[in-house]
Amino acid sequence: MFGKVMVVDDARVVRVSLGRIMKSLDFEVLKCEDGQQALDTLREHPDVKLVMLDWNMPVMNGYDFLVSIREMDEHKQQPMVIMVTTEASIPSMMKALAAGADEYVMKPFDIEMIKSKLDLLGVAYQQ
Amino acid sequence: MQEPQFEFMREFLLQQSGLVVEESKMYLLRTRLQLLVREHGLADLNALADKIKVQRNGELANQVVDAMTTNETLFFRDQYPFDALRDVMLPECTANNGSAIRIWSAASSTGQEAYSIAMTVAEALPGAAKRVHIVGTDISEQALQKAASGKYSQIEVQRGMPARLLIKYFEQDGNNWSLKPEICNMVKFKGANLVSPGLAADMRANGPFDIVFCRNVLIYFAVDARLEVIDNLARCMREGGFLVTGAAEIPRGQHSEWKSVPVGNRNLWRLVKKP
Ligand SMILES: C[S@@+](CC[C@H](N)C(=O)[O-])C[C@H]1O[C@@H](n2cnc3c(N)ncnc32)[C@H](O)[C@@H]1O
Ligand SMILES: [Mg+2]
Repeated sequence: MFGKVMVVDDARVVRVSLGRIMKSLDFEVLKCEDGQQALDTLREHPDVKLVMLDWNMPVMNGYDFLVSIREMDEHKQQPMVIMVTTEASIPSMMKALAAGADEYVMKPFDIEMIKSKLDLLGVAYQQ
Repeated sequence: MQEPQFEFMREFLLQQSGLVVEESKMYLLRTRLQLLVREHGLADLNALADKIKVQRNGELANQVVDAMTTNETLFFRDQYPFDALRDVMLPECTANNGSAIRIWSAASSTGQEAYSIAMTVAEALPGAAKRVHIVGTDISEQALQKAASGKYSQIEVQRGMPARLLIKYFEQDGNNWSLKPEICNMVKFKGANLVSPGLAADMRANGPFDIVFCRNVLIYFAVDARLEVIDNLARCMREGGFLVTGAAEIPRGQHSEWKSVPVGNRNLWRLVKKP
């Protein structure tokens, strides 16, 4: 196992497909449907090391989730965040990176894209 | 496909491009050339082989080589060569005064490697980019055309490319992404065949090179052809220049002209004596 990953997306198909990809790379996968659930899950599992984060979601969107975790106690271990979203524009990418996203994936994604982003971040996974 | 035609095609591909097709791999020709056979209204693979026999250097022959070779590539492939470029090769090349730095992406395919080099240079030596001349070459006319366009799909720009650099060096038009002129203008593309005896002459105007990337192409060649290619590359380089290949592409053994330079847990080659 290469650690815990949160897959946060309001669309079930994405939670399933992205969850399956992350499992195949030998991560333990926790799934959440919105930013608020993600905050609660993160509180329960402070050892989550990576969040795959949708932008547009009800209750709390991915961007607000990102901003609120990056505001938390800076001594606490912060998970890495990869945005995985249909927001495919340079301004949204800039906004997410400025708020503390580590990488950015524009949907649709595939396993090669995800692996290449993990490589960029130096996150180990099952080859 | 019949035996004599298969033998001819194997020999043709080896001569023309260095590509080795093993005897047991007739199916490779079948899967990769079927489309061409249909497009040209030919009866079958045998007819294709017969046609090339009488015209080894025509358009069709080029299309066959193109269809048989793999163009698969991505931005910042394997990452470490570009780290080594930034940390080892460029500092070494900029140390000796303000002269030009010449970099060659040999077998550049659709351009991702050459442009990754350009972005690395732009990041490492802002302002000095004018000193750096990058040339990408390939045997595939189609790949070169795409490379020169500097245009990539949304999928291509997300393979290997950090989001930060995508934001900085690309312009977006829906799902199409184009490199900005500041990067495009650093790179020229042209045709060159690595196994041609005329290679050194073809590249003379662009060299001598300080740095050569020749990656993920030698792997398809026979061992002696690989040695011939690196010998050819050496003729295009300056003494002390760097050569980056894929992991297992250069057979171990004695290479008196080359010194292996460890970088992390990989290695680069350095030309110690020009042939
Ligand atoms: C797999 S790509 C490698 C691209 C890039 N160097 C990389 O590492 O990602 C291999 C390329 O080699 C080119 N090639 C094959 N035989 C060649 C030859 N004899 N001379 C020049 N290019 C050749 C093919 O057309 C193809 O574009
Ligand atoms: Mg959504």
